[in-house]
Amino acid sequence: MKNLLLSATALTFCAASAFAQEKTLTISVYSFAQDAYKEALYDPFEELCGCELVIETGNSVERMAKIEANAADPVIDMAVISSHDALALSQKGLLAELDPTKLSSFDELYPSAQNPLGNNTAVGYTFYASSIVYRSDLLTVDSWGDLLSPELAGRVSLPTITGTQGPLTLMMLNAALDQDPSDFGPTIDAIGAKADDIVTFYSRSSELAQLMLQEEVIAAPVGRFAWSRFKGTDVPFAWADPVEGQAGGMNVMLMTKGNGNEELAYQFMDYWLSAEVQTRIAIAQIDSPANMTVTVSDEVAEGLTYGADLINSLKILPPAEIISKRDGWVDQWNRVVIQ
Amino acid sequence: MFQNRREGWALALPAAVFSFLLFLVPVGILLSEAFRFEGSWSLQGYIDFFAQPLNQKVFLRTLKLGVLVAGTSAIIGYAAAFCIVNLNDKSRGQIFGLVVLPLMISPVARTYAWIVILGRTGIVNDTIVGLGLSETPIRLLFTETAVFLGLLQLFLPLMIISLVSAMENIPRDAIPAARVLGANWLQVFTRVILPLTKEGLVMGGTLVFTGSLTAYITPAILGGSKVLMLETLLYQKVNVSNDFVSASVIAMILIVMSFSANLLLKRIATARS
Repeated sequence: MKNLLLSATALTFCAASAFAQEKTLTISVYSFAQDAYKEALYDPFEELCGCELVIETGNSVERMAKIEANAADPVIDMAVISSHDALALSQKGLLAELDPTKLSSFDELYPSAQNPLGNNTAVGYTFYASSIVYRSDLLTVDSWGDLLSPELAGRVSLPTITGTQGPLTLMMLNAALDQDPSDFGPTIDAIGAKADDIVTFYSRSSELAQLMLQEEVIAAPVGRFAWSRFKGTDVPFAWADPVEGQAGGMNVMLMTKGNGNEELAYQFMDYWLSAEVQTRIAIAQIDSPANMTVTVSDEVAEGLTYGADLINSLKILPPAEIISKRDGWVDQWNRVVIQ
Repeated sequence: MFQNRREGWALALPAAVFSFLLFLVPVGILLSEAFRFEGSWSLQGYIDFFAQPLNQKVFLRTLKLGVLVAGTSAIIGYAAAFCIVNLNDKSRGQIFGLVVLPLMISPVARTYAWIVILGRTGIVNDTIVGLGLSETPIRLLFTETAVFLGLLQLFLPLMIISLVSAMENIPRDAIPAARVLGANWLQVFTRVILPLTKEGLVMGGTLVFTGSLTAYITPAILGGSKVLMLETLLYQKVNVSNDFVSASVIAMILIVMSFSANLLLKRIATARS
């Protein structure tokens, strides 16, 4: 009898375990701050849903390629990505249309985050401002045009065109040089003419932080999400407030079409967008909130893109424009800047 | 050694299967992409690649730096190897250990050290400004010079090891005999040392040249996007553009360059003898 009870108990555990393993959600995310995400988001959600999160990380190109390669039988249920990359996936018919009624925090999101692609296939979960970090003891930066000034020759770095910050920098330099907003060509030419004055075209903010701490570079455009790398150091860095304004961008969350795990994906997205989780993520300085009801202290806000005034003032490059013109920008960039 | 050939084949089989399935097959599939264009076999990928001025420049820069690093390694390597083989056993072991030591340190760490050394506030610029050679620090990082120095430091030990091995096989009396017979040091080098160490030179030259062509970390860190080389361009094609056809073309070009260098060095060595 005792053996029978033990066997039955073991079988029950096995069955429960198998059931729990069946309830999994595969998400595709950026590779940064995964330890912090685990503490603020993944672990609490797994506890809440009694499910397992399978987390796939990588850069945008790798992750998009994986979603596209498995379109017939998606292995990724839910992903977070930049708004223009999301639009590229949406145009290929790879994304499911979202039902806002299944996201309880939907109405709390900033209006621009509610339907950023215009076809209900994504919702914004974070914003980031982009401006110029500079050495406040050596110079003052008042305009994006200062990046190409003789005073900064040989001491400035720009983001490479293929990264997220590249097109934003182009847009703001374009404004500073008073060029046609729909044509970045003359601005790329202007950068090409000054290419020798630019120390390097960086691709990662960590790389830039090291160059600035080493005094190799004293001014460069960067996303606000990287500001914590600079403000906590002994070197006097400042965040510029240029006359042309700050550029901005948004990352979005999406669901792959036909993944078969929609309910759990909605549950996870809803949890991530809730004021509770967005506050926790903001306090951990991982991402800036897209939920309008989130309130944080001034000290926490210092490291974020926070508040309606700032978010509404950001100059955002439309995702459709980035997708349609990016190949042309990269081609011209390779010819006149890198060459 | 074996009772029959079957035993030898049986022992080699696991390694052969492993290499075939996990290396040759995937590499073959990947490289076959370099000869595909719009669903059919074609060289169009190569035509498109070399039609781009940027790609031409990157190809020539990679070739130039590979040759310069291999050539400079050979010059420094011969001098170092000659000194090492003429030391007593204890000193030889110590110096040889110092030569090998950098190979035990991660290339990332070694390359990052160059960022500190070549930076505006690094030891090189401090010396240049201190000696009055320039009023302000000069830019060394993100230049071909920086990539050259990084690659040279990375691969010089391989050349020295190859040449030391070759020089240890030179008969002890060969060089004194040549000197006694009236040969100057240039003649000793060209008529005695070089012919007798050609195998080591070919091996070292191939290792250094191939290594310079395929190293990614050093050009990426010290050259960045301003000093693109084929390997950093290949990374861009895969991870930024998702352009596997161009990446396969670049990979094939790198393989051809490596094999060509080996064949060329062997031919030069044969011609000299």
